Amino acid sequence: MFVTEWNSSALVKAATRTGKKKNALTPMTFSLLHATDFADRLMYSIIPPLKAGMIVLADRYAYTAFARDAARGVDRQWVRDLYSFAVKPDLAVYFRVTIDVSLDRLLARRVKLKFYEAGMDMGWSNNPVESFRIFQSKVLDEYDKIVPEHDLRVVDASGSITEQQRIFRRLVSEYLEAQS
Amino acid sequence: MSDTRPLDPGAHGGVTPGHYYGHGLPYLNIDQYPGKIIAIEGTDGVGRSTQIRLLREWLEVQGYGVVETGWTRSPLMQPTIELAKSSNTLNKLTFVLLYACDFADRLEKEVIPALKAGFIVLADRYIYTAIARAGVRGIDSQWIRRLYGFAIAPHLVFYLKLDVDALARRVLETGGMSYWESGMDLKAGDDIYDMFRTYQRQLLKEYNAMADEFGFRVLEGRRSINALQEELRRQIGEFLEASDSPKMLGPGL
Repeated sequence: MFVTEWNSSALVKAATRTGKKKNALTPMTFSLLHATDFADRLMYSIIPPLKAGMIVLADRYAYTAFARDAARGVDRQWVRDLYSFAVKPDLAVYFRVTIDVSLDRLLARRVKLKFYEAGMDMGWSNNPVESFRIFQSKVLDEYDKIVPEHDLRVVDASGSITEQQRIFRRLVSEYLEAQS
Repeated sequence: MSDTRPLDPGAHGGVTPGHYYGHGLPYLNIDQYPGKIIAIEGTDGVGRSTQIRLLREWLEVQGYGVVETGWTRSPLMQPTIELAKSSNTLNKLTFVLLYACDFADRLEKEVIPALKAGFIVLADRYIYTAIARAGVRGIDSQWIRRLYGFAIAPHLVFYLKLDVDALARRVLETGGMSYWESGMDLKAGDDIYDMFRTYQRQLLKEYNAMADEFGFRVLEGRRSINALQEELRRQIGEFLEASDSPKMLGPGL
């Protein structure tokens, strides 16, 4: 088994950091930088374990980009075309929460929301929490389009971790059993 | 008055100059921007930067505002591209995407504001260099064209064409053949001279294949600097005269 996380390739970290620090990223360069990061991880971290017959657990996948980039105003079809080099996951699970729940959880963990996470780059609001609400509601709308389009399995993530894990394990075992 | 009349109907990838090639930037409407993009394409060593410097002087003397933009020159991406090139971690896909990110950064921060302000943008290489390099590396040609759908079709594209023999001599006279200019990343061999010729020949094939598709004005790169400059000025002068938009005021005029 192999775990890969969004936005973690060494190659792209430098540029992302520069861009994020200076708040210099436009929706388009934000999108392309993350696609570059994804391509880097796909080639080095995802495809080799797949070839070795391993299970790759991906913490976020191209769908995150579909939702986030479109919420920032990048053309939906363009983003989908961009990621056509990605391997289609055998199973994609979307953990859905309301904005209130996700805000509570984020704020419970740390002092303040990150600039891009809250969509502050879009200039919708100077208040991070308010900006997050506006941005995240657009992101959730995008996911509602993506779920049927890409056949994502939805898990209600407002419940306890134990409950979510139970459902998640069931989805994964059902899939693996169906394969064998 | 329309500033988008195509000079060569059907050329420019079928797109009116000054508009996005494909799925553009929905959050930036550029339709009525008065500026112009003039792109100079051609392989390494063909003399693009010299020609651009001379064009800039000539245009500025006539009162045009001029902005230059050049490949991998974006402040955001330049350090990363340099790092990637020197550390051998680049695969063909990340190579293509880093270039696209550099282009997007310059497009939004330099080119579009200049177009809005009525400037002439002189582009030292444009998306065609990226498409040619990707083509040689086996990237899907439709995918790369859709990727650059956010690029704006230039008003004029000049392609300075130079055959491999002349090109090899020029590059050797001015600093020698580099790893990247020789396509050594393709790992097709060890002899840099042979690799340079093979790689550049493949690039030329890609550029030639794009000439009709994107409406290149092809100029013979073996001609002298002065002769080439004269030809560029003649064609650009005609274009600017024929353009219906009023003559632009440069900054400070």
